[in-house]
Amino acid sequence: MTSSRLALADDARRSILSHAREGAAADPPAEVCGVLAGDSDARTVTAAHPVSNVADEPRVAYELDPEETVSIIEIVESAGDDAVGFYHSHPESDPVPSATDREQASWPGYVYLICSPDGGMTAHEWTGNEFHELTIAVE
Amino acid sequence: MNVTVEVVGEETSEVAVGDGGTYADLVRAVDLSPHEVTVLVDGRPVPEDQPVEVDRVKVLRLIKGG
Repeated sequence: MTSSRLALADDARRSILSHAREGAAADPPAEVCGVLAGDSDARTVTAAHPVSNVADEPRVAYELDPEETVSIIEIVESAGDDAVGFYHSHPESDPVPSATDREQASWPGYVYLICSPDGGMTAHEWTGNEFHELTIAVE
Repeated sequence: MNVTVEVVGEETSEVAVGDGGTYADLVRAVDLSPHEVTVLVDGRPVPEDQPVEVDRVKVLRLIKGG
């Protein structure tokens, strides 16, 4: 994957934003997360699948529930699609990769999308060493 | 015995494990750290310090951050 563009279906964008707002409205606010499905080679996201956040401190951290994640990836792949990457929200800060995001990223070549409840989104590919920013094109 | 280890999102490999070998040993055999993954058998997480009792596992690199 060398393109610097991520095509994001509007339905997927809406579903990520709705999920992020749901987390931001919780008391206390919580990060939400999920799997991005689509076409890895074309770097296109056509659907977003919510996954439970099992981090110890969900207000400031996320961790996708492993069992749910594997199950969703199996469903996505059995439908002929790919897991393109993952999303999470920053309910109380800008939607840019945090130091913790950099320290804990572990899927080279995959997209990490961050959403803020005000609608701001960024997407980055984890190269294995750093986040490479992608331009999001909503389609 | 030989165990099929599928690293989710990556490749699948065959790993030979001796008697008493643990799931953590399988993880290290595919060059991952047991602290950075969850091992699943039939879709369910298993304790990594337990001896391997199956011939196929999935290894999920944890997806997390802040």
